[in-house]
Amino acid sequence: MNVVTRGIKNALRSPLRSGAIILMLAISIGLILSMLVARSSVEAKINEVKSSAGTNITITPAGVSGFAGGGDPLTGDQVATITSTAHIASVTSTLSDQLGTSDTSLISSLELGSFGQRMMRFEDSNSSSTGSTNSTESSSHPAPTPRTSVTGTTNPNAVSTDGSSLNITSGETIDGKSIDLVALVGSDLATKNSLTVGSTFTAYGKTITVKGIFTTGNKFQDSGLIMPLASLQTLTDQTGNVTTVVAKIDSSDNVDATVTALKSSLGDKADIVSAAKQAEENVSSLSSISSLALAGVIGSTVAGAAIILLAMIMIVRERRREIGVIKAIGGTNQKVISQFITEAMTLTLFGAIIGLALGVVVSGPMTTSLVSSQTSSTTQNANVVRQGGPGEFMRGNFNRLSTNLSQITSSLTPQTFSAAVGITFLIAIIGSAIPAWFIARIRPAEVLRSE
Amino acid sequence: MLKVKNLTKTFSSPSGDVNALKAINLNIETGEFASIIGKSGSGKSTLLSMLGALDIPSSGNIEVDGVDIAKLSAHKQTAYRARKIGFIFQQYNLIPNLTALENVMLALEFGGVPKRKRKSRAQQLLNEVDIDEEQQLRKPSRLSGGQQQRVAIARALANKPSIILADEPTGNLDSETGKKIFDLLHKLTRSEKTTIIAVTHDMDIAGRTDRTFQLKDGKII
Repeated sequence: MNVVTRGIKNALRSPLRSGAIILMLAISIGLILSMLVARSSVEAKINEVKSSAGTNITITPAGVSGFAGGGDPLTGDQVATITSTAHIASVTSTLSDQLGTSDTSLISSLELGSFGQRMMRFEDSNSSSTGSTNSTESSSHPAPTPRTSVTGTTNPNAVSTDGSSLNITSGETIDGKSIDLVALVGSDLATKNSLTVGSTFTAYGKTITVKGIFTTGNKFQDSGLIMPLASLQTLTDQTGNVTTVVAKIDSSDNVDATVTALKSSLGDKADIVSAAKQAEENVSSLSSISSLALAGVIGSTVAGAAIILLAMIMIVRERRREIGVIKAIGGTNQKVISQFITEAMTLTLFGAIIGLALGVVVSGPMTTSLVSSQTSSTTQNANVVRQGGPGEFMRGNFNRLSTNLSQITSSLTPQTFSAAVGITFLIAIIGSAIPAWFIARIRPAEVLRSE
Repeated sequence: MLKVKNLTKTFSSPSGDVNALKAINLNIETGEFASIIGKSGSGKSTLLSMLGALDIPSSGNIEVDGVDIAKLSAHKQTAYRARKIGFIFQQYNLIPNLTALENVMLALEFGGVPKRKRKSRAQQLLNEVDIDEEQQLRKPSRLSGGQQQRVAIARALANKPSIILADEPTGNLDSETGKKIFDLLHKLTRSEKTTIIAVTHDMDIAGRTDRTFQLKDGKII
């Protein structure tokens, strides 16, 4: 029988009351754990999104979006300016163009459809620029045909929609820096025109050799061509011109500074979009969940500490006389305080065991419900429709990010678990310290007041 | 040998200072059974708490075996209480969730008795006060008043104290049980050579002690 066993025995002295205290503690500790899990899961997701968004920035000519809008392409000088800007590690330049029936022997693998017809309605000079396009009106003009998009790029992999390398199904990829008259053909376009590796087709009045067939899973991309940038520039008489530059920054810390530098050097000639910034905006709702969870952790810690504190104060007040007796028969303050701390620790330990078990069970569903209720709006916001062409592959990245936002898996890491245990100890210490002060103040002479 | 010289105790209260004890002088020989009588408010309990180092006197000396306990540090006072003093209370004041045996062992723990010796010593003490082995394993709530007081006596004797201080030891007991407890205490003073100072207002008991001090308004008369 020593201080510790007496403390443990005292903790179980009144099973009903101890049970109630333990239950309340368990709930707050369970809440602490699940909030910590929610927070760390969300933080992990935010970091993942930020790092996968990477350090790319996209520079497009001002006023151009997809194949719509107007303005001049970026010139070779501007590309050189971008390339020489500090912190830019590498650049991928792309020039987009479209092939009509007069330019090429290829037949587009895309159906025009009502969307295509509407987009093409300005092609005929006689067509009315006002009002709706209906079938009778458009049938009075020569039928427009869908076009085939051509992407001239220094890096064919940049066309890939999922951020990884371009999936070449047959043949081999092309060197984006060459000036050869070669092309990678989208799988749909290849099927439509019966093209295989080694076949040739005519475009811009020249014969072009198929080097490979690629597939991206994106119908628009798979109906297009990829050529070396310089080849396309030459074929289209646009030497040096590009419609998109994707620049990779050396470090995520330098993204903002580089964007600012580019804005001042390019002026109003270019629109600059930073993937990291975009991703940050997309995860802002996750950040708010993270701070909400942090508030939850603090709140439950305070509640847990208050529960054990008030319980211990109540117990100490109730046992004033007993404490007085122990002191009178020679028990030191230190012994009495250790006994009560053991009692508080025992209650907290039981609460912690139940609470942590509870937390493990509820943290998953709690994280999921917190995230799904908060991110539905984000997902919609992020799905802003962008047109094809320049910057098109950026869309793929953003779609991928936004769909993943709601797919947070709550993960209980050892770190999170030890944080919860640490907080629990903090609760027990707070819960014991103030009652200990009360104990030290109880005078042994009080036992002689026999009333 | 207990010597009390010019002992005073003053409490401050909102209506001014209260002189609970006014220059108390008394000497009690080792092995004596002394009683202190007086009406309530006469300062009996205050005197007892001074003698037991539960409270610090405002002035004066309390010498126990040549040591002035009023001048001891708080820590030494606790040690003094553990080894030199045994307390017996009117309310018995046993620890409710410990068995009779554990209550006695607790006092032995505070007195610094090694762990392995505590149990046999506690059993021996309880046997001496006629608490049998079955009763030793009961909690206080399952013992009668007389039995509880006997456990309290065993606890008080645990560390072979020089002085046993008893605050109305028979106050909560019927007269027959009270008499038995008194006889037990009386027997102990003889066998253990222990000084006993008992506060009582039972004149019958006081009349059978070796010496009686009467307190009135904080003074011995």
